[in-house]
Amino acid sequence: MKKKLYVPHPGHFEGLAQLLASSKDIYSIYMAGSPDYIGTGRVNLGHASLEEIAKHTQYCHNKGVKIEMVLNSSCMGGQQLTTEGYNLLHWYLSNLEDIGVDTVVVADPYLVEMLDQEFNIPSVVSVLAFVDSPQKAEFYEQLGASSIVVDSNVNRHFDVLEAIKDAVDCELKLLVNEGCLYRCPFRYAHFNFFSHVNGPPPRPNVQDDYYYYKCLTMRINDPSLIIKSPFIRPEDLEEYAHITDVFKIGGRSHLLNWILNCVDAYANESYDGNLMDLMDCPKDLIDLFNIPNKALDGAIQQWKTHSTVCHTCGYCQRLSDKVTQMYSRMGTPDEKLEQWTTLTKKGIDTL
Amino acid sequence: MTLDNLLKTRANMEERIRQLIGRAAMVIELDLFALPCGCSGYTANTRGLALDDLEVFEEHFLKQLKESAEAVGVSPGFVFARIIPGTQEIAALNVRELCPRCYSDFAATSGKRPRPDIYIFHLVKRKR
Repeated sequence: MKKKLYVPHPGHFEGLAQLLASSKDIYSIYMAGSPDYIGTGRVNLGHASLEEIAKHTQYCHNKGVKIEMVLNSSCMGGQQLTTEGYNLLHWYLSNLEDIGVDTVVVADPYLVEMLDQEFNIPSVVSVLAFVDSPQKAEFYEQLGASSIVVDSNVNRHFDVLEAIKDAVDCELKLLVNEGCLYRCPFRYAHFNFFSHVNGPPPRPNVQDDYYYYKCLTMRINDPSLIIKSPFIRPEDLEEYAHITDVFKIGGRSHLLNWILNCVDAYANESYDGNLMDLMDCPKDLIDLFNIPNKALDGAIQQWKTHSTVCHTCGYCQRLSDKVTQMYSRMGTPDEKLEQWTTLTKKGIDTL
Repeated sequence: MTLDNLLKTRANMEERIRQLIGRAAMVIELDLFALPCGCSGYTANTRGLALDDLEVFEEHFLKQLKESAEAVGVSPGFVFARIIPGTQEIAALNVRELCPRCYSDFAATSGKRPRPDIYIFHLVKRKR
């Protein structure tokens, strides 16, 4: 399938050069700017100044690759509506326009309209605007959006995706490997937290990310939540061809080799390895679970017609019990893999 | 103390915790540390472990943490868990040899929860 892959910037110029030298399958690189002006909803490995953005943009363009700036803070604390906030945003976006970035991703409707009214940069509606219905997609298109990253919660709701496709003419983009919980209860609070941590000061000094820990605990206790997560497997991209040919690979906090592995998998539409290798988040579970990606072949046919009421369907639970393996004694010569269900059937050993 | 021993201790600890609570849990990082104040010890960052688990299996956890302390050469004078305040989430299990200043801070407290983020398994009080 011919497709456009949006790929995360590895956070430094040398990494960008290696990335573009190593893969010819990248349509666009995306990166965050400086958190001092507009925040971003995720952790980044680098905080690029305007000079660096200009250098990276020129480099990408010389290689025939587009560059997208991700300014998708889900909460700016209302500063964007103050005179000072407007002036600062306007100054920053003017600089990005002068640099020649190709697109800007924003989550706030106010910024979609500002970009449309005052700049000549196409705006992309972030996945953090949670566009999960044709009505919301129409709203953003009418506001001036040139592209919409659809809420990944509906990645497996083909009826909704098809309705959104019918409702708008703008480009649709799907985030393939976010790996978040389906209908995650922490989603809004967590991204608002990230937006402040990765946004203008004052930044909260937090030792423990409650939302992340809780997300991990839920999946450690129930790995079927990983299967239920609305990722799109590389093998299943073809199923989305009637919706879009534009796919975004998440992973701004990952290193170059991880990004390249994902690009290869999605470019080739095949991956023979642990599904967890491809998931942007949660990273830590790669040391706990092995879910052979190929063991999920064909599951898309169920997901395309599935009930979204998990407790009456049970398909993902059964699939998870069948395919999920767990590592034990990792990092030692005794490292082994066993079926997840083995541990839960053992019961309690009180030493 | 060798790195192989540290890796083995992390794996042992994770394995025993899983056997104890009957479900998966992770020791995502096991660190030996030394602080400028003079405290030293180890920290096991955990995921998937709840405060309820510690309360129910306290004596078993304490035994395991002391064994791990011995394996990595740390004296288990102060054994505690770090909790995300207001929640069930255990962020880390810790064994620490307290410096005089930190000892006096903790020895002056009473109860298992002297701070919202700390659950004390064991604190050896020194004779005056």
